Amino acid sequence: MTTTRGGGDGDTGLHARVDAVWKLESARIVAALVRMVHDVGLAEELAQDALVAALEQWPASGVPDNPGAWLTAVAKRRAVDHLRRAERAERAHGALAYADEDADETDGAGDGTGDEDADVLRLMFLSCHPALRTEQRPALVLRLLGGLRTDEIARAFLVDEATVARRIADAKRTLAEAGAAFAMPDRDELAARLSSVLEVVYLVFNEGYAATSGQDLLRPDLCGQALRLGHRLAALAPGEPEVHGLVALMELAASRAAARTGPAGEPVPLHEQDRGRWDPVHVRRGFTAMLRARDLGGSPGPYVLQAAIAVCHAQARRPEDTDWTAIATLYDRLAALLPTPVVALNRAVAVGRAHGPAAGLALVDALRDDPRLRDYHLLPGVRADLLDRLGRGEEARREYARAAALTRNDAERAVLAARAAGHAAPAGAMLEDRAAAFLAGLDAPAARAYGQTLRRLVRGLGGTTPAAALTADDVARVVTASWDRAAAATWNRHRAAVRSFAAWLEHPELAAGLERRRVEAPPAPPVDPARVAALCDDPALPVRERALWSLLHESGAPVGVVLALDVDDLDRDDRATHDHTVVWRSRTARLLDALLAGRTRGPVFLADRRPGPARARTGADRCPDTGRTRLSYERAEYLFKQATGGEATLRRLRVRA
Amino acid sequence: MRYLMTTGRNSRQPDEALFADMGAFIEEMTAAGILITTGGLEPGGVRMTSRGDEITVTDGPFVEAKEEILGFALVEVSSHEEALEVARRFRRIVGDGDSVLHRVTG
Repeated sequence: MTTTRGGGDGDTGLHARVDAVWKLESARIVAALVRMVHDVGLAEELAQDALVAALEQWPASGVPDNPGAWLTAVAKRRAVDHLRRAERAERAHGALAYADEDADETDGAGDGTGDEDADVLRLMFLSCHPALRTEQRPALVLRLLGGLRTDEIARAFLVDEATVARRIADAKRTLAEAGAAFAMPDRDELAARLSSVLEVVYLVFNEGYAATSGQDLLRPDLCGQALRLGHRLAALAPGEPEVHGLVALMELAASRAAARTGPAGEPVPLHEQDRGRWDPVHVRRGFTAMLRARDLGGSPGPYVLQAAIAVCHAQARRPEDTDWTAIATLYDRLAALLPTPVVALNRAVAVGRAHGPAAGLALVDALRDDPRLRDYHLLPGVRADLLDRLGRGEEARREYARAAALTRNDAERAVLAARAAGHAAPAGAMLEDRAAAFLAGLDAPAARAYGQTLRRLVRGLGGTTPAAALTADDVARVVTASWDRAAAATWNRHRAAVRSFAAWLEHPELAAGLERRRVEAPPAPPVDPARVAALCDDPALPVRERALWSLLHESGAPVGVVLALDVDDLDRDDRATHDHTVVWRSRTARLLDALLAGRTRGPVFLADRRPGPARARTGADRCPDTGRTRLSYERAEYLFKQATGGEATLRRLRVRA
Repeated sequence: MRYLMTTGRNSRQPDEALFADMGAFIEEMTAAGILITTGGLEPGGVRMTSRGDEITVTDGPFVEAKEEILGFALVEVSSHEEALEVARRFRRIVGDGDSVLHRVTG
């Protein structure tokens, strides 16, 4: 027993101490209980009971010498009691007694054996289970493995407590319904499941990294939590290079945390940071993790590549010492593995440094048509910098101004606006003023209808672009990036607004690049395969949706047929249905494995929730194990529209021969 | 947040069993991302004093043996209580003696 002199004693002190013990020990305790009772929700309840017992008993008895072992022993005893009660109840019903050899394990004290480690690793896999929705996983991980309370998680993610409580409760129910096994994923599944865990840890880290510091002193440090989870995972799965890659990436990012914001809270770009403020402890730990990843060999994955890029920066004592050629090469490889527009933009920055601004600008310009980057302030920001270095001051000014208009960070907006102001604006009316004058001259309904089009046009072209400097090509590019995939009628409506504005400017030729579209056009073209790949590989999207899209794309089968599939229709080894009417390839195979983990029957694609009793369907459209019903066409269509920004329908995923 | 823990002479004899216990503790704390670095300090030490333009160097020892600092650990923790909890675990391993914890600022 330890006694405390001075401050910090009493109930508050005890609570704080119990909380600290809990955060250090809860992962092991909960993991051991889940193995015993096979239910995450129940395991956590039993663990919480032990915590309550500690708060009741410790004020009188004093804190035991080994509080973690005490909590473990009490929680395990409660689990054994629970299992015995359940056994008796089953016997009373004449059912077979369910016995578990683990139930006899009442020794309690954590002995640090490998079994305990395996329990914690399994709990990590379970908390990041593919059956869970993206926003549920971080909450569950922080709760079960970080020992955070609901109010702490709510504060960390800036959402209210009830939302977090609901997320966690839903997640536990989903795991119970999915019959998610507390078994280690098998070899085929391991890579996909591990990458899901890495993704959640990185998401937690980035959530913390993006947060403005100092606003809320009680906001838990998500970066610290993620680093701990990462180190823990690296100790549990030391043979996985990507785990060490993620740890290295997070450590090196954390090393720059203090240097990346200026005194007014403005973001300081990497090449302007005071390198003396980079934290050498984090740098060293990052390098150590990177060496482990390299020692394991193999072809580097996305985390190892991103960490390698961070290592290049960390090794440069001065910005001008940065090995941009090496970084550009690493980005080439990363872009092949992660074909996202943000990676492509970073690659353009690296190429701009390694091979000159003209080479960088060529890559950036190719991204200007990507609708996903339409409102991303770093695209004009990067472009402005490259144009500036090429001596194209007026174009740089417009892009700085556009970036300033798009960013949501006030301090960053000030920096960008100042850069724009560094170049004198040419004489003549600005686009934003001309657009406002045009709209002011219309009656209210017309102004409303045209206003949407013109706001998008101004944002895409830059409000401070002189109206006289507009070209038909620029107008066509912005309109195409915005509405190319919209329905023909929508396209025509925006086109009419642009033509009307161009006529008002007395430059009707500005709208010349925009063809009117036939409304009863032939069926819309299939979704670009690169787009499909990006969607299906986007770890932020639920695995169910990705599996469905990938299957539609690879098989070309009708949507109705695919949604009607049951688990036992599939021959997953053969990558086809038993009757070979639907055939798929490796990406779908991987996603189906993740989706169907442990399920042997019922519909392949299930709805999120169980229907209420009044609506309960029976028979073939209901999963006998989880009670969830088959995913409907309407819902599937809605989810795909959401993911594609409302542009595409499921039918367009099918590749036509 | 980071804490520096310094430790004086402890009662438990530095035998194989102590090394094994400490080794397991250090390994666990490192794997958890808590322990940043740790080390022992040579007794005695050197004192350096500046007065005006003059810098004087004196060889130790300077304090009574029981107050001498003989080891340190730098830890990354999420709260003050957690720092204390980690230190408690250390003290349970090494026997009688004193440790001092300071939060590292800046």
